[in-house]
Amino acid sequence: MSPRRAARIGLYAFLASAALCFLLPLYVMLVTSFKPLDEIRLGNIFALPDAFTFDAWRAAWSTVCTGVSCEGVRDGFANSLKIAIPSTAFAIAFGAMNGYALAFWRARGANVLFALLMIGAFVPLQVMIYPLVRVTAMLHVFGTLSGIVLVHVIFSMPLMTLLFRNYYAALPVELFNAARVDGAGFLRTFAHVVLPMSPPIIVVAAIMQVTGVWNDYLLGLVFAGRDHLPMTVQLNNLVNTTMGTRLYNVDMAATLLTAFVPLVLYFGSGRWFVRGIAAGALKG
Amino acid sequence: MRAARLSLFGLALLAGAAAHAAPPRAEVMHWWTSGGESAAVRALADAYRAAGGVWVDTAVAGNEQARAVAISRVVGGQPPTAALFNTSKQFLDLIDQGLLGTVDAVALRDGWDRFLPEPILSTIRVRGHYYAAPVSIHMPTWIWYSKAAFSKAGVTKEPATIDELFAALDRLKAAGLIPLAHGGQPWQENILFRAMLANVGGRDLYLEVIRDRDPRAIQSDAFRKVLLTFKRLKSYVDVGAPGRNWNDATALLITGKAGVQIMGDWVKAEFAVARQLPDKDYGCIAGLSPQAPYIVQGDAFVFPKSENRDVVAAQQLLAHVVTAPAAQLAFSKQKGSIPIGAGFDPAMLDPCARKGLAIMADRSRVVGNDENYLIPDQNGALSDILTDYWNRNVPVETVQKNIGAALSR
Amino acid sequence: MRGMLNPRRARAYVALLPMAITACVIYFGTTLWSLRVSFSSSRTFPTDNFVGFAQYARLFTDDRWLLSLTNLAIYGTLVIVVCLVLGFLLAALIDAQTRGEGALRSVFLYPYAMSFVATGLVWQWLLNPTNGIQEGVRGLGFAGFQFDWIVDPDKVIYTVAIAAIWQSCGLVMVIMLAGLRGIDPDIWKAARIDGIPAWRVYVSIVRPMLAHSFATATILLLTAVVKLYDVVVAMTQGGPGTASEVPAKYIMDHLFGRANIALASAGSIVLLLTVGILLAPILYLRRHSARLAAR
Repeated sequence: MSPRRAARIGLYAFLASAALCFLLPLYVMLVTSFKPLDEIRLGNIFALPDAFTFDAWRAAWSTVCTGVSCEGVRDGFANSLKIAIPSTAFAIAFGAMNGYALAFWRARGANVLFALLMIGAFVPLQVMIYPLVRVTAMLHVFGTLSGIVLVHVIFSMPLMTLLFRNYYAALPVELFNAARVDGAGFLRTFAHVVLPMSPPIIVVAAIMQVTGVWNDYLLGLVFAGRDHLPMTVQLNNLVNTTMGTRLYNVDMAATLLTAFVPLVLYFGSGRWFVRGIAAGALKG
Repeated sequence: MRAARLSLFGLALLAGAAAHAAPPRAEVMHWWTSGGESAAVRALADAYRAAGGVWVDTAVAGNEQARAVAISRVVGGQPPTAALFNTSKQFLDLIDQGLLGTVDAVALRDGWDRFLPEPILSTIRVRGHYYAAPVSIHMPTWIWYSKAAFSKAGVTKEPATIDELFAALDRLKAAGLIPLAHGGQPWQENILFRAMLANVGGRDLYLEVIRDRDPRAIQSDAFRKVLLTFKRLKSYVDVGAPGRNWNDATALLITGKAGVQIMGDWVKAEFAVARQLPDKDYGCIAGLSPQAPYIVQGDAFVFPKSENRDVVAAQQLLAHVVTAPAAQLAFSKQKGSIPIGAGFDPAMLDPCARKGLAIMADRSRVVGNDENYLIPDQNGALSDILTDYWNRNVPVETVQKNIGAALSR
Repeated sequence: MRGMLNPRRARAYVALLPMAITACVIYFGTTLWSLRVSFSSSRTFPTDNFVGFAQYARLFTDDRWLLSLTNLAIYGTLVIVVCLVLGFLLAALIDAQTRGEGALRSVFLYPYAMSFVATGLVWQWLLNPTNGIQEGVRGLGFAGFQFDWIVDPDKVIYTVAIAAIWQSCGLVMVIMLAGLRGIDPDIWKAARIDGIPAWRVYVSIVRPMLAHSFATATILLLTAVVKLYDVVVAMTQGGPGTASEVPAKYIMDHLFGRANIALASAGSIVLLLTVGILLAPILYLRRHSARLAAR
């Protein structure tokens, strides 16, 4: 067997075993979600369901009770979208703009500001809730959709900026200089040169931001106001009861349902991981 | 007679509300999100609707979480009409900041002083004013046992003293079953501790340690004995206990794999879901001696202060409705708690609740939960020491010293 | 030349204004506020009751806090190192082959999408000695197999690391993948013509070009590690006892449950300082080497 062939087989073997390890929890989640509660109580987590049933999924989507309302996680879905879409769009816009300004334009004091911003990335967000409540209340956006979007943008700024700044810093600077020599200004260069080279990092940023916003519930609870509660609030109500009984099968089904949107994004984002974007731009 | 008086009062409130031409609207924030708890809350919501109000539900899972969100909303200027807290010192800070409204009128008219147990009353009535409406009364240290497991181990008599309990546990161990079903989480270990303090230490020691935080009591031999008994329970717990949820421990009783669980009366809902009945499939022991203290813990709605007359009217109506006998009966049946009030027909309650109610009639036996007497910080520090002692080999004298330090803060 | 650039640079300043406001008012301002609260005896609400360094003294005589810092060092190192290595490896392997990329990417990335409240429970089940992997492998015939780390106070922190790695690896992988895709494909062709083996290309040529992706991934992992909370709460609740306590959980418990925001603020300031102390030499070295390279 040629070393090339052996290497290939080794590569596939490694990928396969890694994939199996990663998939194990998903297997347990799926299997649990299709079992009735009596079977789960027996405690055999790897066993395939004896009495296969979709009840847990139906319940999770539309009938399980969280408090007085018994409508499952369905209700919050629209709210989650209303929060996630603007939050992601603005977060990426700000991140890209900041990253671009930091990477290419040596503005004075910008690095100090960036360092201050990065401090924020290390503070647990719960610590910042009280001050943010006061600030948003002062701005009269506490408990509104704008308020929760603003809060999400604020919390995402450090990492979004970092993401774009480091990506742009790795791009060949000749492109940028060429544009400047051609007379393009700040925004022109951004729109015509830098942005077209950004799809891979925009995808990563979108993955991070959508996942973060979609799975967030604490910020949604505090800042979104009762009319805009995201579906994660219902999910959390399902899974996290203090002293009530837990319906494990419904918990698993609800978690998988909630993860559906980010997962679709991951799967569909493939075509944006295009090879050689920067290189192509150089040649062309 | 009382019912007639109550409904007259309700009508009066309603008339007052009607004069403003809008039904009283109450946004109620709470953490009752599981199936049984949701059904219980719905009973309250139905009662409120029947009294003419509009119930807007905001359920937030996790009691700490729910309280944190409620406080955030109060600070942000958009408080809910009512928020659930425990009958404890949790809302003292809110009172001190002037953020809570009172329900004195309702409390005096409905005579809360007459039928509320003293520990609950003492947390609701602060400096002469009533700041919360109690909703449920639970007992956290019931001793539950699986009849199937007992018969398999040859335990014929329900343990009535601490020695008989340990004898039963030994029997269960010998029969190859898990003697004590336990979930290794700090709050559950705390329950075991409180059960031993109540049953082995007795009422006086319990109050001296938990309520008075008396250093001499904490360093005493009697308390040392309590701690040692607490640690002794660990040898009856199986190896998979750490991190286990309380209802998974109950599941061990339900499937007959374990014999005993020391837990609050909310387990009844778990047995009910598995279609098991009290006195038939499982038994409940309130205390291991005729004088054993009966610990009460409770939940209550607090009412963020408002200048708006409609909001205040809605709050008053809510306070009145949730403490009314009919709503209480419907609620406690689903919740597993003891209904608040007096003069209930025992036949309407399950056997364990009946036992509890009978014991509560003897006021000298009723004591408050740790959160009744300790501020959250002290309670948490105590919990840390206990869970550390449970899980590691710490000399009991060190534990006593640490508890003394933690409670003297 | 300078004069021509100035109006454009002004636009850069304007564009950076939102970031400036956020950084100064929100992040810096909140940190200062936390500092102020940490010097007080505030309980549920901030008060002006000044107590000096009392909260910090309490922190450093609290075994639970000290243990949480130790745990942070242990699992932090594990998670960052393993995720970087594994993430890079997976990204390189996926990049090198053309089949099933979408599926493979999703397999490693899906854990990131799952809310940890439920997946933490699954990990608890998997690692439970009576019902999980230990029991499963024993059932297959390996009678002496032991994997009960989750109930062992000395080893439980490693289980937290495993779950955290499972969740974060995929994100590191896509960051590396995005970086890899930015590399000129001609490099590969040239290497093949010159007869350089693939792994050599990766190690000597590709890896340095991915320096920025590595930097991004490292900082991302560091922030995740420092703020780690959901994983611990869902899997072990900090147990057995307090063996798997982590700083974020300590802070959170005191912020809400224990109604002691002063102590919680002191904890988060200490945490920030710890991270700062760790990062400062690295940043200094980077700027120093960049300056040297520029000369």
